[in-house]
Amino acid sequence: MTSTRLRAAGLALWGLVLLRAASDGRLALLLRGVFHPLVSLAGIVLLVLAVAMLLPLRQRSTPGGPVRRGDWLTLAASALIALLLILVPPNPSFADLAQQRPGDDTAEAELSFVLPPAQRSLTDWVRLLRSQADPRLFSGEPALISGFVLPRDGGPPVLARLLVRCCLADATPIGLAVRWPSDRPPPKRDQWLQVEGVMAVQAGPQGEELVLLPRRIQPIQRPQRPLEP
Amino acid sequence: MVAPAWLPTAWALFQGLLIEAMPFLLIGVLISGLARWLAPGGRWLRRLPTHPLLGPLCGAALGFALPACECGNVPVARRLLVAGAPLDGALGFLFAAPVLNPIVIASTWAAFPDQPWLLLARPLGAVVVAVGLCRLLALLPEEQLLQADVVAERRLNQPLGTVSLLQRRGGVLGAPSPSPATPTPRPPLLEVLHHSSGELLQLALLLVGGCALAALVQTLLPRQWLLQLGGAPTGSILALMALSLVISVCSSVDAFLALSFAAQVTPGALLAFLLLGPVIDLKLIGLLGLLLRPRGLLLASGGALLTVLLIGQWVNLWRL
Repeated sequence: MTSTRLRAAGLALWGLVLLRAASDGRLALLLRGVFHPLVSLAGIVLLVLAVAMLLPLRQRSTPGGPVRRGDWLTLAASALIALLLILVPPNPSFADLAQQRPGDDTAEAELSFVLPPAQRSLTDWVRLLRSQADPRLFSGEPALISGFVLPRDGGPPVLARLLVRCCLADATPIGLAVRWPSDRPPPKRDQWLQVEGVMAVQAGPQGEELVLLPRRIQPIQRPQRPLEP
Repeated sequence: MVAPAWLPTAWALFQGLLIEAMPFLLIGVLISGLARWLAPGGRWLRRLPTHPLLGPLCGAALGFALPACECGNVPVARRLLVAGAPLDGALGFLFAAPVLNPIVIASTWAAFPDQPWLLLARPLGAVVVAVGLCRLLALLPEEQLLQADVVAERRLNQPLGTVSLLQRRGGVLGAPSPSPATPTPRPPLLEVLHHSSGELLQLALLLVGGCALAALVQTLLPRQWLLQLGGAPTGSILALMALSLVISVCSSVDAFLALSFAAQVTPGALLAFLLLGPVIDLKLIGLLGLLLRPRGLLLASGGALLTVLLIGQWVNLWRL
């Protein structure tokens, strides 16, 4: 075993980690879409470099020297981390993340077009409300949105989504009020729901706010792309 | 044994930070390896100015030619140092290039098109921080500032007129000095690959440590606590500086993150957030430890914190 072989194994491990992350769908849970091709490309480059290092070994012209203890330690630590990353997929609590962070206050003045009400996502609704501050304009419009249940201090839970600029570390929550049916138990924290109903106006902590009056509430699996850009 | 409830979220944050940073680290190592192959011996690097002001400025300007965010910058800065580039130039690049590059300037403009002062203040502030840190770190001898392996390799590439054989720990007494015009032979590509792969594996492990620390702190310390401190002019700057240390996001996207709380904080605090993160954060500590000894790292961190705080205060006096 030469140090070149060890280093090639280390590169291949990191390459496999990145390619595994790109192929098992976890990138959608961790990073904004624009970074996904970069991760896949980096994984491929690492594998190609590992193979390029190993090929000359067959011709006995490798520049590597004897294996040092540090090489073994580096490979062992890399292997342990790579194994953990491959075997233990991420499973964050979106409600935990959202409750640790302030809400997103980005003004969305540049809405280029407005979708019909029934096609708007939760994020579209929140952005639309920021560009048109009067909630009465939307009262009576139909809505079909999905999100996770986020408890709110001093009020009923809201249906929320996380906005991401780069990776999960910078996620910020946005939420829309829902008037939950009083004859049913309140929804569970972190549960993903699809809610169909009609928009209405109610008095909120900061004046009038738009609230969704649900006609149908359906528990759903966490979507494959749960983060919004 | 039951795992704590916060662990899955911390694990996901750790993966997000690490997987996002790995491609940039790879880009940095590839640039560094390419520079080693294309400019063996780094003779042109040694011609960078040694002037206390021009040195850091030239180093900072290299960011335009080698656009990488702060993770990718570390291997490139290491290559500059070991190739014998003037200390001011290499450190100027390390501290300023994560902001002074086209990608970061474009993303700042895209995030804050209505605040042209920020587009000017961010690069200018980065240069001020870099020059200040270069002057501060120049107070330490290289042996106390840089890691031993960096100094050893650096000595081998510095001209014999500037370092003795004892400092180099190599050479033959009485042997004629090689002519400065003698070109260093280009190393075989495989040797460069062997060297770069070792560097990447070492940096990746340090990055793992930094991401783990950042993920833990982010999970256990609610971000709202920091932002709630942010009402007063000085309090807001300190809060946003602490936030940039904790969040550890890449400099090419931090402006978009700052956009989400820009309305809640003072202009000085906003600029402080955009200036400090590219120089030092929890994710970077391990990587910088590959270049700087603990004393140098402490001095650089303290100097960066103080300089950014002063810049933030000045901006608040100007803009509020």
